[in-house]
Amino acid sequence: MNWPDLSMGGYGFYVWGSYLFALLAIVWELVTLSYRRKSREQEKAAPEVLRGTTNETTS
Amino acid sequence: MNLYKYASPTNFYPLAGKIIPWFATPAAILFGVGLFVGFFIAPPDFQQGDAYRIMFIHVPAAWLGMFLYILMAIYAGIGWAFNARLASMMASSISITGAMFTFLSLVTGAFWGKPTWGTWWVWDARMTSTLILLFLYIGFISLQSSIDDPRRADRAGAVLALVGVINVPIIYFSVQWWNTLHQGATIRILQKPTIHGSMLWAMLIMLAACWLYSVAVVLIRVRCIIVEREQNANRFVEATV
Repeated sequence: MNWPDLSMGGYGFYVWGSYLFALLAIVWELVTLSYRRKSREQEKAAPEVLRGTTNETTS
Repeated sequence: MNLYKYASPTNFYPLAGKIIPWFATPAAILFGVGLFVGFFIAPPDFQQGDAYRIMFIHVPAAWLGMFLYILMAIYAGIGWAFNARLASMMASSISITGAMFTFLSLVTGAFWGKPTWGTWWVWDARMTSTLILLFLYIGFISLQSSIDDPRRADRAGAVLALVGVINVPIIYFSVQWWNTLHQGATIRILQKPTIHGSMLWAMLIMLAACWLYSVAVVLIRVRCIIVEREQNANRFVEATV
């Protein structure tokens, strides 16, 4: 096992910057998804909404 | 067991809820393992030093961006051809995650390009075709959002998605067809990989993590879409009765 040099041999800005962007993108997706779920209150509404629908696979 | 019944959004909704943890949990574990192997086990590259470690997020993001587009087009095509509502909903759900990964591949590619090529961006065949892929995703999402009737939105989106598929082989083969700054494929199915085993394992583990993450997020989003569309349909019925 090699302990990585945090400065990444002088490339730290680029390496950590790319991973920070990846983290931000994933967090953004999860937060917007969570917001979408909550805003629709679907956890409570879902059974009610789906109860009135048919099992049709086509519109 | 009748799998066909799960083509109905109403039946698929609870099934998706049950299987999400089976993808989300391994995704979180594999992200941790992949980063550990990539930063603690894999050695520095003899030419690029530690800058190459961007590869562990850049390559999975680029592959997922392309693969999710093909998957989105297949679902959109099935939804259009067979009037299958769930398939169209899946296409809508995949589009946002696919766009996110494509955007991520462009940004991490720029972060990798600056120290190795000396520039953040060039109008190179690989990068330009990947940018077009991002525009196709954005076009699909915008087109679907701009049409109120979901069935019409699905049909319009399907046409765009299917036409745009032609861009995926262009991205993949661009490094062979044109002289580009971007390096050629390091990993090929029928040939021995040209990178160190630990680097390859780190990349494959991160790829698996990104793939499992995508499935989990797409399933969560498709559950939202199912409820939103059924809510809208019920409101429409109530308003017209």
